[in-house]
Amino acid sequence: MYNSLSPIRSLIPVLVVLIVLALVPAMGPSNRMLSLAISAGINIVALYGLSVLFGQTGILSMGHAALVGVGAYAAALLARDTGIGFWLALPLGGVFAAIAAAIIGIPSLRVSGHHFVIMTFAFGQLLTIVLTNGGDYTGAATGLDLQLPVNFFGARADDLMPYYFVVLAFVTLSAVASWAIINSSYGRTLRAIRENEKLAASLGINVGRQKIGAFVVSGVFAGISGVLLAYFLRHISPSQFTSFPSIYLALMVMIGGARLLLGPIAGGILVAFLPEVLNLDPVESRILYGVCLIAVILLLPNGLIAGAIDGWQKLTRSSTRKHPGTQAANAEHASEAGR
Amino acid sequence: MDILIQQLLNGLSIASVITLIAVGVTLIFGLTGIINFAHGEFLMVGSIVTWLAVQAGLGFLPALVLAVLAVGVMGFVLERGLFQFTLTRPTNGFIVSLGLIVVLQHIVIFFYDPNQKSIPRPLAGIWDVAGVRIASVRVMVILVTIAVVAMTFVMVTRSRYGRALRAAVDDRDTAALMGIPVRRYVTGVFVLGSALAGLGGALLIALFPITPFTGGTMVMKGFAVALIGGLGNLTGAVVAGLILGIVEGFSAGYGFSEWTDAYSFALMILVLLLRPNGLFGGTSGPKMA
Repeated sequence: MYNSLSPIRSLIPVLVVLIVLALVPAMGPSNRMLSLAISAGINIVALYGLSVLFGQTGILSMGHAALVGVGAYAAALLARDTGIGFWLALPLGGVFAAIAAAIIGIPSLRVSGHHFVIMTFAFGQLLTIVLTNGGDYTGAATGLDLQLPVNFFGARADDLMPYYFVVLAFVTLSAVASWAIINSSYGRTLRAIRENEKLAASLGINVGRQKIGAFVVSGVFAGISGVLLAYFLRHISPSQFTSFPSIYLALMVMIGGARLLLGPIAGGILVAFLPEVLNLDPVESRILYGVCLIAVILLLPNGLIAGAIDGWQKLTRSSTRKHPGTQAANAEHASEAGR
Repeated sequence: MDILIQQLLNGLSIASVITLIAVGVTLIFGLTGIINFAHGEFLMVGSIVTWLAVQAGLGFLPALVLAVLAVGVMGFVLERGLFQFTLTRPTNGFIVSLGLIVVLQHIVIFFYDPNQKSIPRPLAGIWDVAGVRIASVRVMVILVTIAVVAMTFVMVTRSRYGRALRAAVDDRDTAALMGIPVRRYVTGVFVLGSALAGLGGALLIALFPITPFTGGTMVMKGFAVALIGGLGNLTGAVVAGLILGIVEGFSAGYGFSEWTDAYSFALMILVLLLRPNGLFGGTSGPKMA
């Protein structure tokens, strides 16, 4: 799937999609569409982190919304107590979320396998409880307001249109970062752990440290996504970062497919816009998400995009069989699907 | 002293419901390897069935039986329809259960709105024993739980079916060669655990009003208790459930109620760090994958 001969080629579809997305404002979308697109973009930034964790390393976090929350609260608290604005809050939010990820990861990854998922879930719940009981400092259940403007070279950038481009820039950045990780030796190390932990350990890979590292990396993405979210919504509260947003993040990454570079974008956009397109109310659309998630897991375990590619390859197999290269790629694909 | 005993009783009745969930979780997760996070939603469905039956004019007891049956059947359908395809990949099963959480919750909201639901107390009597006011409904919940958990315990540890089940957990292939229908046992355990969740739901709505979101916190407590006690270890689940319920009861009675939900998580994290197999040792899941 990741053709090592031409790593650049795997970046092209994503760049094409991103260029198309950059042209969207020119079509004069409604404000509602734009704000949906912005929240989808903010999710996609976090999803890229989750795809490094789940798609590459094979460990799933069910407390990822909590890490987004760390970023968001960091942004709000920094703005309130120190006056630190958007651009400085971005890296700081990433750093804080990474530290939080390390604090969660170091003890959680000591327990093996499925317990890790439960631990991240528990830590996510704990954070919500701490934020709710934080009194005036965290604004308790009502949360915090954020008033600082977003400036870009002296111009206000927090209207919908400019903020769309800010978010799109970060989506691009995280896509490229995740592409770089996938195609580096670091990415290959993570995949080795995913495929066979014991074998990876016997090759001298420090499995525990690499796993924590992957969790920290995904935390950076989540923290930045949190800062973007805080400056977009202007008001954050603990209920935005409970277990359910975490489940939805996992759902988006599953639906899109965690191992493909296009997966997070596809998942984020599908989940944000499907209810609009089908004209569903929130309750109906959530039922639909749940059904989709179950169907995708049971029928297309690698996500919709990979499933579509699979189907396409099956359709065109007769014409490509003569090329040994493609066949090898197909074989690799098949082994991927049958993990 | 009166207050102390009263809090103890309140704690015990909460502990009962948590123990029922935890026993279900510890059986399903510990013996079949299915990580069903929708277990809390099974409980919530049990509560809703009870609520509907009582609304329809049934007494509490038939409503409770109905809830147990309905959730048991639901467990059977979901195991046959979904979870049996994920047995070799527990993470997939876990994700399926996350999807189920969303689906079950919102189906209930769709039909019966998200508001609180309650039934009139099935037993209104309050006994006054030496100055301590004891609500009879709480005693009923505690007694039912003790009876059911004891029955489950005897079934798993003493009966030949329980022995066959534990053999299947230890070594699937050999057990299958000995003529044990392993797949049927997996289904059976799942249905049993589901029915216990249905019972827990019926008892829960007898104690407190519930919402479609009740399942979420309850299942985390159930998993916390199951992991603290050691997976697949019934004794561990009961002891850990008791500890947690009593701690929660006391903290609610003595003014730390806003931290109530944090105890189970904090305790679970602590126990998993110090003793990854739980306080009483568990199976740490069947050896399948």
